[in-house]
Amino acid sequence: MKLRAIALNTFSGLLRNKIIILFCAGCACVLLLMLTPLLILRNGRGAQNAEMMQMAVLPLIASMMQFISGFGSLLAAWSAADVVASEMRAGTVLAVLARPVRRWEFLLGKFLGVQLMMFVFVLLMLGLNYLLAWIGGASIETTPWVLIVYPMVRYMIYSALGMLLVTVMHPIVAFCIVLVVMIGSSLVAPGNPQTFMPEWLRTGLFYVFPSSNLLSETRFLTITRATLRAALWTDHATALAYGLDYALVCFLLAAWIFHSRSLSRD
Amino acid sequence: MAAVIEFQHVTKIYRRIFSEEKLVALSDISFETAPGQVCAFLGPNGAGKTTSISMLMGFFFPNSGQIRVFGHPPGDLRAKEQIGFLPENFAFHKFLTAPKLLRFHLQLAGRNPNSAGNLIAGLLAKVQLNGYENLKIGKYSRGMVQRIGIAQALLCDPQLIVLDEPTSGLDPAGRREVLQLLAQLKGEGKTIFLSSHILPEVEQIADHVIIINRGKMVRSGRLQDLLATGAQVEILADRVPPELTQSTLRGAIVEPTQSGVRVLVDTARKRETVEALWAAGCDVIAMTPLRSTLEELFLKEVDRPGGAQ
Repeated sequence: MKLRAIALNTFSGLLRNKIIILFCAGCACVLLLMLTPLLILRNGRGAQNAEMMQMAVLPLIASMMQFISGFGSLLAAWSAADVVASEMRAGTVLAVLARPVRRWEFLLGKFLGVQLMMFVFVLLMLGLNYLLAWIGGASIETTPWVLIVYPMVRYMIYSALGMLLVTVMHPIVAFCIVLVVMIGSSLVAPGNPQTFMPEWLRTGLFYVFPSSNLLSETRFLTITRATLRAALWTDHATALAYGLDYALVCFLLAAWIFHSRSLSRD
Repeated sequence: MAAVIEFQHVTKIYRRIFSEEKLVALSDISFETAPGQVCAFLGPNGAGKTTSISMLMGFFFPNSGQIRVFGHPPGDLRAKEQIGFLPENFAFHKFLTAPKLLRFHLQLAGRNPNSAGNLIAGLLAKVQLNGYENLKIGKYSRGMVQRIGIAQALLCDPQLIVLDEPTSGLDPAGRREVLQLLAQLKGEGKTIFLSSHILPEVEQIADHVIIINRGKMVRSGRLQDLLATGAQVEILADRVPPELTQSTLRGAIVEPTQSGVRVLVDTARKRETVEALWAAGCDVIAMTPLRSTLEELFLKEVDRPGGAQ
């Protein structure tokens, strides 16, 4: 009951959070801008347009998908950092923890509240996936759970990381570090052609940073062809277990630091 | 009877990261609060009151010493289940209404909020917030916020109520209502631990007083005992011969009253004065130690040079 109360309260707060509303409005504007040429082309008639759809539009859709997915990771990290930091800043944490609530329960409730918001985000993203596929004249054949569970696990990692960092630093600094980790993890991913990083550093960072590529649902969804790549259940289990394990380690570290820190109105 | 709150040689030092600089917020503080007692925790700004209360609630950790609340360490769920807490400058989730906030706190306490409609309505009436059920707390005035803070502190019928500046932000009428509420809670046998700057109000309800200054305890004891230890006594006599005022009563305050004469002398000279009055054939009607007010006591202790050293 305590966890549910904290999670729902956090979710309610997030829906009213002005920074997050602004963040989402910005994302929606960018999406609309990206959609405009797509819709113009779709409405155009003739063989030349059909050819252009194949050549240019479908890759555009793929990049939009990546943009939304990346935005979701940042949203998860910021939300997790902000829900903890704002409770500390406002001092509401004192009234909450004066109740028979353990510190880890408080943090877990906050984490679950963020996941609730990210679940809504993922559902919206899922709807957008199907909408974009329809606009591109293709159909998505993969099972929806892949498009829900994979991004959720990825968002869990980034929200746990944001929560871990915010227990010791300002939320903006925490967010910037998560951003660096996100960019870094895509740079060190296998298959990335970058060459400026020495191999030993690349290997080291590959093991430390969360593997966003492994947890990317686009591994199973090639929107340009809209075909499902064959994947064994062991493949799913390994990738998801890795992601959940990463998130759990980050969360446990956050809980451990939060357990021993002094709580006051910042 | 076991103490509700125990502080044993508690020291708290704030240290700056990457610096040798340190601030001793509390130094070797020891006291106990008995069940059913109203304990006033007093001190000037920066004395260490909020630090002590934060440690009592388990928000801060002492560098040394031991704190027990109902026999448990601070922050222990068994202790927190019995505590109602009002932090200084109570903060809230601004998007909630008062009933929703109280329901949220009931859930945090592990209770079912669905069957608590009457309890919530009763509490809101008690703090005079009925009629504002649909107003979001973000739109409340400072005094209303304080009232909802008090309501949430009383929500789960706590045995110990910890109040950090409960009357701050309230108008005189609001302060009087809070005092009446505290007196009612005292009558119900609740233990109340409060810090406040409004000493005449504290004096009305407190049983026990602890005064700290610069992190050190400077005075502690029953309020009656502390206030009765005034420096002067009041002697009422039927008359005072003029020659006596020139000799034995030199330096004393002699005032005529309707029933005789009132003589104020230092406690050290009370015996000498009474004997002189008797010897002069006067009738000594009464002798009363002059009570100082809590404010006088507080200022005396806080202003004393090296009082907190």
